[in-house]
Amino acid sequence: MKDQNIPFEGAIRWGYAFNQWKLGWQGFARVDDNIRALKITSASGFRCIELTAGTGPWDPLGRPESIAQHFGSVRKFAAQLDDWGIARIPGVFFDPGQLSFEEGHFGLCATDRADHALIRQQAGVHARFVADVGGEYLVIQAFPPYWRAGQLTAAALSAVADLINAIAQDNRSLGLDTFIHLDALSSLRAAEQIEALLEQCPAPGIGLAFDTAELTIAGHDVVGLYRRFHSRVRHFHFKDALAVDTLEEYRLPNAERALILAGGRREIPRWFGELGTGLVDFKSLLGAMHELDYRGWVIVESDRGPQPVASSILLNSWYVQQVLRPLQNRPLPDTR
Amino acid sequence: MSNADRRLRFAYMDHWRIDGPQGYVSQYSSVRLLDSFLKQIAALGFEGIETFDFHLGVLTELFGSLPAAREFMQERGIERVVSLFHAVMYRNGVSQAHDRSTHEALFDHAHHIVQSAAGLGVENLIVMPAGQYYDVEPVTDERIRACAELWSRVGRMTLDYGIKTCCHHEFYCGIHHAGQIRKFYEWSDPRHVFWYCDTAQHAIAGVDPVDLYLKLHGRCAGFHLKDTHHVDRVDDYRQRPESEVTAKTTPRWFWEMGTPEGLVDFRALFAAMKEYGYSGWVSVEHDKADIGGGNYPASTAIAVWYIRNVLQKIYC
Repeated sequence: MKDQNIPFEGAIRWGYAFNQWKLGWQGFARVDDNIRALKITSASGFRCIELTAGTGPWDPLGRPESIAQHFGSVRKFAAQLDDWGIARIPGVFFDPGQLSFEEGHFGLCATDRADHALIRQQAGVHARFVADVGGEYLVIQAFPPYWRAGQLTAAALSAVADLINAIAQDNRSLGLDTFIHLDALSSLRAAEQIEALLEQCPAPGIGLAFDTAELTIAGHDVVGLYRRFHSRVRHFHFKDALAVDTLEEYRLPNAERALILAGGRREIPRWFGELGTGLVDFKSLLGAMHELDYRGWVIVESDRGPQPVASSILLNSWYVQQVLRPLQNRPLPDTR
Repeated sequence: MSNADRRLRFAYMDHWRIDGPQGYVSQYSSVRLLDSFLKQIAALGFEGIETFDFHLGVLTELFGSLPAAREFMQERGIERVVSLFHAVMYRNGVSQAHDRSTHEALFDHAHHIVQSAAGLGVENLIVMPAGQYYDVEPVTDERIRACAELWSRVGRMTLDYGIKTCCHHEFYCGIHHAGQIRKFYEWSDPRHVFWYCDTAQHAIAGVDPVDLYLKLHGRCAGFHLKDTHHVDRVDDYRQRPESEVTAKTTPRWFWEMGTPEGLVDFRALFAAMKEYGYSGWVSVEHDKADIGGGNYPASTAIAVWYIRNVLQKIYC
């Protein structure tokens, strides 16, 4: 087969998220299906995957206990990755707002200091897994959605910052970085708030995970925002956005359902698209990343779509290989 | 090993369907759908596609001309249409390779197809060399000789267009038993008639494709790599109207490489290809991969995973 051109080493390290496969509680619960998905991702040219923190017995790769149950142990699982064509798991995405059977909650809220101990405990489970498989980072979606937390006050922002700092301290002891992910529904919405957060969460162990689609849907100019915060951006999720939340419907109750799934008042049929099919100017963004000497992971995501998951990965693979990689041809000095 | 050092290049035989807003449709339904298909195939590392001759018309319709269609493919990383599958409509008394009275019509049809294919970079015309078994039987030596005569004549003609005539033996083809295949290649002109090794079709027919390759490697012009989980032990090849889709025992005959139940020994095949120094195009095929809820992109990716992680370690 012709060589694929998606490196996982060098200045920009490419990987793929694993979150698009699991649809519904009981779907995608078989180990065979998970291994098949790993092989499909590998065949598509992406040899590193970012896992998503999951819960319950229906998610074989969602938690280290599940992995140990299905594969013998986390270390053995890591040793088997190469058999499936996967080179590494660089990190895990963790959203404490999601239900967890194991920690016994229906979603925690980082603006509430009473939840911090449990969030930190849960983050530790996933961080130790990342360390055990030789990974580098934990991505945390620390801020609750606007509809749940309301307007973010200075005190609430400080509460979240304190939690992030505590988790980052735990992660540093494991040799991991901590990246803060913001989604389209986040209670943290303005660039000034990002600035205030970063002032309270010092580098180098803490950075931003920049999700191109989520930020676009939230109304940001992704390239401009990256230029403003580039020194703190340490991680990317690359996916395209097909619409912007111009009606500010992130305020709707249960906006995950009412806006993202149901489409809001405009009944937007699909928010996330394959690279190059929507509103994100990836060529300009990559140009800015190159100019500003970005070094780190770019995790491509499919998220939701009507096609078979494999189609979405393959279309994103084509775009990376044929459109983005040729723009990346200027050699950069290895200064880090 | 760099791309330039490799002896094998991979093409995709384009059984593929897309489940979209209009329901389940062919990738040839629009430029947008063909664009999506080609990008997915190219992303996996394929450099060519194979298609059916009845797609020539729609390619012209979509792009204005076949050279324009090829240019569209090349812009997406697909170099050429490596092979055309010549879908002969075998009919008794009208077009049957074992019936010499119909040879002129079959020859003229093949001639028309190769003339019509100019501009796509086609290298092979693939054809089932006889009608369905139930139409050809009893499969006498005389009938096999008639088939060999026809395709030798067609093969001489297609080479004038730079295209090899390659015979592809479906498990329900009139020529599919080992002895029939041996006679066909003995009696056809080795300069003009080539063998296309469809691994699953031979395995279903109870013929080991690796053993056949060892015997016919000198005539082999290409492969359709696909697997099967079943051997036809109950003469399903006689099932009307078409055993591949209406056999009572087996709803899905074909599987992608890399499933645990697969019967074809692809490792041995690649070792044999290495031994005889096969060089050129190798095609991957997933015929009816959607039966039972599967989908073409996933099946194709799994086959590519198997090639990259298993077969290329043997020969590439």
